[in-house]
Amino acid sequence: MKNRLKVLRAERNWTQAELADALDVSRQTVNAIETGKFDPSLPLAFRAARLFGLRIEEIFHDEERPTLTTEIRKDAYV
Amino acid sequence: MNQSIPREGYQSRIRATTLRLAIWTFAWVVTCAFMNFGPKFLWDKAIVFTVLAIALNVGVGAGMILANKNYIMGLDELQRKVYLNALAITVGVGLIAGVPFEVMDTYDVISFHAKISHLVMIMSLTFVVSILYGSRRYR
Repeated sequence: MKNRLKVLRAERNWTQAELADALDVSRQTVNAIETGKFDPSLPLAFRAARLFGLRIEEIFHDEERPTLTTEIRKDAYV
Repeated sequence: MNQSIPREGYQSRIRATTLRLAIWTFAWVVTCAFMNFGPKFLWDKAIVFTVLAIALNVGVGAGMILANKNYIMGLDELQRKVYLNALAITVGVGLIAGVPFEVMDTYDVISFHAKISHLVMIMSLTFVVSILYGSRRYR
């Protein structure tokens, strides 16, 4: 699963430690999520979404499954 | 944009539960020594004191189990995953190593007696290596 956590954090000039505090997790967990080594649970994804004021799918997205718009475009060519 | 965010303490909470676990573990080790060496060196094998020492050890052991449970429940999801993976490997190694170890003792494959303390050492070592490996993997 890909995510925009690093970008969103950088936009706010937050350190990993500050983001970790805000999400109530360890800095190691924030780093593992940012580098794609660990996928967060749904409650943690919701906490991140609430913190950044975004929807979950605006932060996290599945890299294996094409997005809805890609599927619609594919259907258009069939 | 530099928004400030509330700083609360996952770290301080973990420090507190870790300290509590360390205190309970230390107390348990002390009561283990008390229970093992007391009968010989302190009360000349008097049954009453030995039973009391065993009861104290079991009681403190129960406290240590609860402290460990609280510690695990306080971890965040990644650290809990690393910890539970390490526990799973440790229990597996304990089981897989323990049974053949006893058979080796029974049929004199090894020159020394298989003791529970050997197994505890193997399991402790396995746990430490598993935790280090797990932490490194997600670093």
